[in-house]
Amino acid sequence: MTHNIQILILGLTLGGVYALMASGLTLIFGVMGIVNLAHAAFMIIAAFIAYFAFQILDLDPILSIVITMPVMFLVGIVVYRLLFARSVADPHTRGVLVLVTFALALTVEGTLGFLFSNIYRSTNPSYASKAILFGPYYLPEGQFYATLMSIALLVGLWAFLQYTRTGYAIRATMHNRTAAEVVGVNVDRISMLVFGIGMALAGASGSMLTFLFSFYPSKHWEFVAILLSLVVLGGMGSLLGALIGALLLSVIAAFVSAEFGPTWSPVTFYLALFVILLVRPQGLLGKRPEL
Amino acid sequence: MATSDTTIRAPAPSTTGKRTLMAALVVAALAFPLLQLAFGGLNYWLHMLLFIFMNIAIASNWNIIGGYAGYISLGHNVFFAIGGYAGAILFAYFGVSPFVAFPLCGLIAMAFGFLIGLITLRARGPTFIISTIALVLLTKILLDNWDYVGGTNGISLPLLELPVDLVKLPFYYLMLLLAVGAVYLSFRIRRSKFGLGLRAISQDETKAEVAGVPTRLYKTLAFALSGLFIGMAGALWGYYLTYLSPAIFLTILVGAKFVLMTILGGRGTVSGPVIGATIFIVANEFFVTQFGATALNIVATGLLLVLVLVFFPEGIVGTLKKSGRLPKMLDWD
Amino acid sequence: MPLLQIDDVVAGYGIGPDILTGLSLAVEADRSYCIIGPNGAGKSTLLKTICGLVRARRGGVVFDGKPLNGLRTDEILRRGICYVPQDRSLFPDMTVRENLRMGGYILRDRHAVEKRIDEVMEMFPILKERRAQLAKTLSGGQQQMLLLGRALVLKPRIIMLDEPSLGLAPMVSHQIFESMNALKKAGITIIVVEQNARIGLNFADWGCVLDLGKMVFEGPSQTVLDDPRIEELYLGRRRRRTGTGG
Repeated sequence: MTHNIQILILGLTLGGVYALMASGLTLIFGVMGIVNLAHAAFMIIAAFIAYFAFQILDLDPILSIVITMPVMFLVGIVVYRLLFARSVADPHTRGVLVLVTFALALTVEGTLGFLFSNIYRSTNPSYASKAILFGPYYLPEGQFYATLMSIALLVGLWAFLQYTRTGYAIRATMHNRTAAEVVGVNVDRISMLVFGIGMALAGASGSMLTFLFSFYPSKHWEFVAILLSLVVLGGMGSLLGALIGALLLSVIAAFVSAEFGPTWSPVTFYLALFVILLVRPQGLLGKRPEL
Repeated sequence: MATSDTTIRAPAPSTTGKRTLMAALVVAALAFPLLQLAFGGLNYWLHMLLFIFMNIAIASNWNIIGGYAGYISLGHNVFFAIGGYAGAILFAYFGVSPFVAFPLCGLIAMAFGFLIGLITLRARGPTFIISTIALVLLTKILLDNWDYVGGTNGISLPLLELPVDLVKLPFYYLMLLLAVGAVYLSFRIRRSKFGLGLRAISQDETKAEVAGVPTRLYKTLAFALSGLFIGMAGALWGYYLTYLSPAIFLTILVGAKFVLMTILGGRGTVSGPVIGATIFIVANEFFVTQFGATALNIVATGLLLVLVLVFFPEGIVGTLKKSGRLPKMLDWD
Repeated sequence: MPLLQIDDVVAGYGIGPDILTGLSLAVEADRSYCIIGPNGAGKSTLLKTICGLVRARRGGVVFDGKPLNGLRTDEILRRGICYVPQDRSLFPDMTVRENLRMGGYILRDRHAVEKRIDEVMEMFPILKERRAQLAKTLSGGQQQMLLLGRALVLKPRIIMLDEPSLGLAPMVSHQIFESMNALKKAGITIIVVEQNARIGLNFADWGCVLDLGKMVFEGPSQTVLDDPRIEELYLGRRRRRTGTGG
């Protein structure tokens, strides 16, 4: 039993981090209707920034969020303006846009691979190798801080959406884009903002993944598939769904990993995707009927 | 049957021209290796040509699900791998040469496609695309851990026992056969009720369903058929390389190239994938000789895809066709 | 000078063909308008062009003496033109009150908006009754009323409604148009696009017939109702000609 609770703890805490990673993805989908396949690639960009900040400036990866979030926010704005601004409104071009994000992911991966090669990297701040003990259970310290940070950011995101005027506008746009436009919401600006926010969240995730995983340019495909699986489970466009999906699948993956070895952990997510498609393609809390 | 007073019309000049062109191409392709027999030293060109033929087959095949039905599969190299591994297993463990077994390998890939399609085609648009990525990653992990096929180390196959000058010839002719076959399949589908149904699905699936198109069946069939020639190609390619491993067949980049070739040429058309594959392989070869098959190749693939999608998403053939400037020779629809 | 002047406007969607092919209309402040016409004539496109959802390719729209070309929808909204689209554009998972609040989105003064919402709810007791209900649980007629209420929060000069009777039972449509009469009395200029030409023309002062992107006929709504050509083509009373079939 102790063993199982231990695994549960590890699964839940990792799930919190995955939820943060997935939140940007599902937010962008909810507002713009685009699945951003390059989301994880941008996470890796942020990871490299955090990595070099650590190597060169001795900056703690969690603190590097102060750099990665604004930087990735700006990157998001620029990418939006360059690639998506004009086409988001038209539902017919949205299919093409998913491919564009795919191509973007490849470009990012190749550029990073060219600049930094495909070696495995990670940061090792002091807490990366320590564990917190409470009772018979332990929690890797790095994971603990990452989860705290993720929860903080997710709560902040929720509060932003719930209580600010802009957050209100974002939620309205998610509910019904035309209606929002008609009551005077500048949906183009909102889309741009949301893309930036999504990227900022990817930035924070990227910083933290440096001490939770080892990363290299091509790893983003693995992340993307995992994140997309849990977003599909939770329902595309639903933040709460992403959280539930993340926690649920991470716990299952933790048990799978404990039983069969860590190689099979990602398989849990992939298989879960296929199972969801068989059983309930729109996910648990999905809003968009066409999925 | 024509009645006695019907004016017999010769086929329109464009049709004759098209048929002549195609016949000429095929004859030229068939005859080319004779130069090798006569003069030797053309192995590089044989390699390039058979590689182009293979990719013509792949692109034309992908076109069925990605172009006609409008369901973008980013992980279609799974079929390539299934066919390749099927061929390798049959050869390494049962002694059946891929030259004989490759149609079976194609059918095996097709069967997998049908089963997988039953699951993944329950989703539309973006979710489907996601599932194809998950499929590649999943298959890679499964093959990496399957000792029967060597896991990450892969399988080595014995070399074909022929003199250096002749060894590429069987592959050349078989790949040519695949190319012709795949294009023919694409052509027949496009002209059929099945093809019409697929195109209706790609335009508006709900309306197609309401109009009586059996969408589930058609989609799944399209997905399965789109793995047939790719699977056969995989079996032959594995033999050609004499080595297969998950890392060779199952990277996202490989699947991305399938997509890029077809879109570049013009998805949803018959001649598009042919032209796209040819141009892409030539460009890719040029790139690789200049800059090596490194990360830059990934960048270039990504950038090219972005450019094509943003500036001419209909591809070369599609864009020319829309503006009415497509030479009749190239309009095989 | 007319409140709203539409001058020879040509417009279409994206890179598609021209839907409006040179449309002109003068909207006076003290009249209400009903626009009828066959499907595809451009009725919805006209409304969308006025409020900025569709960009005019040629020609212009002038409101209160100032041009609206190139302005964003929210800017046009600020100037006093409110658009209620065809497809029940509510926020389904928000309550009635929240939907009304979104009507006042562009206003910064929260208190003013809340006061205004209370006023609107007085006007429409049904909305007051159901103010905490989710919009998606309302009936069709109640949703339409909510849309009207939401449009009113900003006290617009012009309200444009696209097929308000769509999908509603006749009695419910009548109720909606009764409410719109109240708005007329309050001095708001109403432009209504209606497939149900009869109910629309009975409501409005002025009827406009649109076809193939142009205004083909306009006049007092009773005149439009009585005109035999209009009657035949758009009101559905076809006079069959005898002769060889075909």
